[in-house]
Amino acid sequence: MTIVKSETTPYLAAYQAAIDTTEPTWLRVRRAAAIEQFSVLGFPTRRDEAWRFTNLRRLTKAPMPPAHPATSLPDPDAGVIESLRLAGRVCRLVLNNSAVVAAQSSGVDLPAGAWFGSIAEALETRPDLLKAAFATTDPAGNQPFAALNEALFTGGFLLALAPGVSFDAPFEIIHVNTDAASHPRCAILLGEGASATVMEHFTGSGAGWNNIVTCVDLGVGAKLHHVKLQTESPAAIHLAQTRATLAQAASYDSTVLSFGALLSREDIQVVLAGEMADFTLNGGYFLGGQQEATFAPFVEHRVPGCSSRQLVKGVIGGQAHGVFLGTIAVRPGADQTDARQTNRNLLLNAGTSVDTKPELEILADDVKCSHGATVGDLDDSALFYLQARGIDAATARRMLIGGFAADIIDASGAGETIRQHLHRHLSVWLEHLP
Amino acid sequence: MSATLDTVETILAAGEDNYKYGFVTDIDVDELPPGLNEDTVRFISATKAEPAWLLEWRLKAFRRWQGMTAPDWAKLKIAPIDYQASTYYSAPKAASGPKSLDEIDPELLKTYEKLGIPLGERAALAGIAVDAVFDSVSVATTFKDTLAAQGIIFCSFGDAVREHPELVQKYLGSVVPPGDNFFSALNSAVFSDGSFAYIPPGIRCPMELSTYFRINAAKSGQFERTLLIADKGAYVSYLEGCTAPQRDENQLHAAVVELVAQEDAEIKYSTVQNWYPGDAEGKGGIYNFVTKRGACRGANAKIAWTQVETGSAITWKYPSCILEGENSVGEFYSVAITNHMQQADTGTKMIHIGRNTRSTIISKGISAGRGQNTYRGAVKILPGAENARNYTQCDSLLIGKTCGAHAIPYIDSRNPSARVEHEATASKVSDEQMFYCQQRGLTQEDALSLIVNGFCKEVLKELPMEFAVEAQKLLAVSLEGSVG
Repeated sequence: MTIVKSETTPYLAAYQAAIDTTEPTWLRVRRAAAIEQFSVLGFPTRRDEAWRFTNLRRLTKAPMPPAHPATSLPDPDAGVIESLRLAGRVCRLVLNNSAVVAAQSSGVDLPAGAWFGSIAEALETRPDLLKAAFATTDPAGNQPFAALNEALFTGGFLLALAPGVSFDAPFEIIHVNTDAASHPRCAILLGEGASATVMEHFTGSGAGWNNIVTCVDLGVGAKLHHVKLQTESPAAIHLAQTRATLAQAASYDSTVLSFGALLSREDIQVVLAGEMADFTLNGGYFLGGQQEATFAPFVEHRVPGCSSRQLVKGVIGGQAHGVFLGTIAVRPGADQTDARQTNRNLLLNAGTSVDTKPELEILADDVKCSHGATVGDLDDSALFYLQARGIDAATARRMLIGGFAADIIDASGAGETIRQHLHRHLSVWLEHLP
Repeated sequence: MSATLDTVETILAAGEDNYKYGFVTDIDVDELPPGLNEDTVRFISATKAEPAWLLEWRLKAFRRWQGMTAPDWAKLKIAPIDYQASTYYSAPKAASGPKSLDEIDPELLKTYEKLGIPLGERAALAGIAVDAVFDSVSVATTFKDTLAAQGIIFCSFGDAVREHPELVQKYLGSVVPPGDNFFSALNSAVFSDGSFAYIPPGIRCPMELSTYFRINAAKSGQFERTLLIADKGAYVSYLEGCTAPQRDENQLHAAVVELVAQEDAEIKYSTVQNWYPGDAEGKGGIYNFVTKRGACRGANAKIAWTQVETGSAITWKYPSCILEGENSVGEFYSVAITNHMQQADTGTKMIHIGRNTRSTIISKGISAGRGQNTYRGAVKILPGAENARNYTQCDSLLIGKTCGAHAIPYIDSRNPSARVEHEATASKVSDEQMFYCQQRGLTQEDALSLIVNGFCKEVLKELPMEFAVEAQKLLAVSLEGSVG
């Protein structure tokens, strides 16, 4: 008999209440296995190496089971959505606590072989796609939050492009989260040679909890530009896991910017499973107040000839705490691996802190791997230079911080519209700097 | 001719028998039966006629240790260790302590001669004062009188307890408290000897101080304790070398080294660790679990650790610096080689407490055979460490397809004016470099040795001259059979 961790009981009850007998059997089996795993694992503690810098006290103190039914929550304000959305021709889905808001979503004519919609819809009309999304990604592994998500998810989105299909306009998903707990499950499946740009924006209000799992499966030669912008409420908890598997010569370009949430965590697990696959991560965390953010990319080179580049920058003000836990793992035989990982942090004032741990784990010899990490404040001479030219101290500071952070956005291959969109958010954040 | 050159020649003469220190010296020893309990601790303390406070201190550590578990966070595969199977005290038999070199067992002297230790007359030529620790007990300290003339105390730990109890009591456990970790608690309970040095204010120690450790007896563990104090404005350079005979079973070595540097003092601590690494199949070898830490207590103090780790089946070792004093400096230079089945998890910890403290970490890891080499380091900047600076560079060289190299740095900064930089790379010995060397007539092994020595140069240049030569040769010997 396995021991059930006491803190998981409310979640077990939520699972029991939500069991839906109309769901396909394979999914119900997976959910049952996942909730059992969660009940055994419980919440991670600071004794777990991967979680030692993450303070989960709020979650463990007061349980936050999901609201049922999620659809009972009021629709987000249309004006707000209007102000957040990308300009131009976009295929848009608005999710309210992971349930789709049809009135605010807008489609454009998708080419044949493309499917884009909510998870609930996929379950009804294309369960095969959903099943494929589950089949290609790891089961919950040792990760309690992924297990909980698998047991409880009701919404999220799914994008599937058949081999050879490409779509020029971006797919935009606006996730609005309120006071409730929500467990969206998202999937991006690109067939051989397919290509797409996906822009996700997480926003909301209140002290909710968003526990997201996103599966990315890229076929041979597929190309994905994936942008995530997180501007959730300063009281929210945002835990996200992205799991990507790349086939031969696939390319995954990921940009992740975190501005919001009291506690946020980005676990980005990438498996380079086909030769010549390529992964790029440009990440940034911009923190103030009591915020705490963790970036934990884990890049696994399983086969020869792959390359990966990671650049994650942090700007930390207020009393905030930034954490970077990056790993590059090169498995035996993965020769000609070219991997680089960089983490740079700016501490803006006293009272801030950063923990960074860039890790290399190399079991092949013909490799080129490197990592670097820096922590410091702004360069005094650069500040002086600007001030000597008549720019006041506060503006000079903003200019330098903006320049430090802009790299991440400029390096994204997601297109000019999206880059400008991100730059706007960065400027807003900079303006609010004390 | 210096004794160290002697060593080099011995290494060269070693031929295909890679571990030239693998001899066993057959001498009479006083030995405790294997096992560990409070009586063992009492016996060790009584044998050494220790004062009551020290026995109490040991017992307290032992009780702490009983409640602790061995750390498992390192990237090391360690078969469960039976702490009751080890012998905790083994001493060369002697009615009373040797008064001069002539009284030392000739067998012992021969052992040191084989090791190339400049004991006796040869010490004068080499200009190094040596304290040699054989199994658990310090057998001879040379140059004691010359040093004493300047007020420098350099003796075995046991002598220090007898002759300078006030110094020992003041500093013992002040840098590495007994409960710091599992192995330091074990060491605090059962340490049998080691070296002690005290450099009085303003004195620059005129010669290199040196300790040579050797584990000789079978199934015995060595738990030495080194305490080094450089008072205000003092300077000392300290060398430490280690060997052990070739045996099939694993032997335990759990040492504690504590350094205290007061205002304006400087301590340079160099180690060449060449414990028996086990054979190519991973049989036997020393388990080396060492806690080394230095505290820069006063302003402008400096502690530099340099280590060349070529031996041991398992190395678990993180020489660290606590930078308390303003402007104090910590340095760590390391070369670690793992060949065959060796595993090393080694690095450093720099804790910046005072203002304007600076630290430098240069680590070079070389993995060959099926060796696993991990750099694990921590740089901590506390809120008060205004303008602290750290620079870390950690490079790994991989030789062969079955070895592993890992880097796990922790950086924790709590002061915005501090600057921390970390950089790490991993790559293999380039085919072009090998080809270039071989084309010019070098054998494959010489070419590799040349490249590896170049890779380690930044660290080797930090070693005192004689040690650097020995270390270079050791690198070559350690890597024999790793290519082709």
